[in-house]
Amino acid sequence: MNPSAINPVPAPSKLNRWWLKWRFHLNILLLLIPLGFMPRYFADVALFRGDSGLGEREVGDVQVGPWTLKLAEFRNEAPQLDGPAGYMKHFSAALCERCINEVKATYLRIGKPRSLRAAGSLFEGTPHRMIAEVPIPKRATADAELWITLEGWDGSMHQASVPLTQASPATVAWLEQRGAKR
Amino acid sequence: MNTWTMHNALRGLLLIACAGVGSTVQAHSPFCDCKQINPTQIRCSGGFSDGGDAAGVTLDVIGYDENILLHGQLGSDSSLTFDKPAGEFYVLFDAGPGAVVEVDHLDIGQ
Repeated sequence: MNPSAINPVPAPSKLNRWWLKWRFHLNILLLLIPLGFMPRYFADVALFRGDSGLGEREVGDVQVGPWTLKLAEFRNEAPQLDGPAGYMKHFSAALCERCINEVKATYLRIGKPRSLRAAGSLFEGTPHRMIAEVPIPKRATADAELWITLEGWDGSMHQASVPLTQASPATVAWLEQRGAKR
Repeated sequence: MNTWTMHNALRGLLLIACAGVGSTVQAHSPFCDCKQINPTQIRCSGGFSDGGDAAGVTLDVIGYDENILLHGQLGSDSSLTFDKPAGEFYVLFDAGPGAVVEVDHLDIGQ
């Protein structure tokens, strides 16, 4: 007796036939897609580990009183929106070897600070590689300056400024574009 | 290929798709927004960009001469209402070193 006569096998659906035909190629594609993201992934890993330097764009050494600071843009890009806090820009910095034990805190902000209390964002991390998130003031213009405030363990305070055009051309371009929209 | 195998394949695709949606870094930036609610009063509300409230955070109103005109704290609704001082001043939301927000009186809207 023929078993198929008792329990006939249903014909595969159109989708099933398509899957059977292309499943091998689709699986190869799934393996290939992540490869396209690999260069960006490894660049990010190198950036976050510090293997590619302080940041994507080094600003250079900045003399702040008796101390020196190496400043960099963490990412060479325009400020990013951080919800209700507004637009933020990340900078990274490294203290000079001599000043590591002498500097208590490093602050950064756009515009001259009115006081130490309002010195801006605090750099966090090791003295060899610190990161600060700086808010972009609503009334900031392209000719603004980035102010660095260093507070020493001896109670001293030293300040220096870097023109934003030098510190972050990407931010200046973004500010000019934003200004034109007003 | 039966339906069961196909469902497994679809589950696999879904799993791979979900793996691509990684967790994003959440910042914890402070913010402070001040508005003039009537001709004589200003209300400031604060918080953090990750959704955290700012109840109890210090909010000082400081003159341009650095004299503290009002030393206050945000209430349970993360806001504080105060009388508008005469002259030039700024509001300082102070949640600790490096977590400050400055609002100039020129930036306080209606």
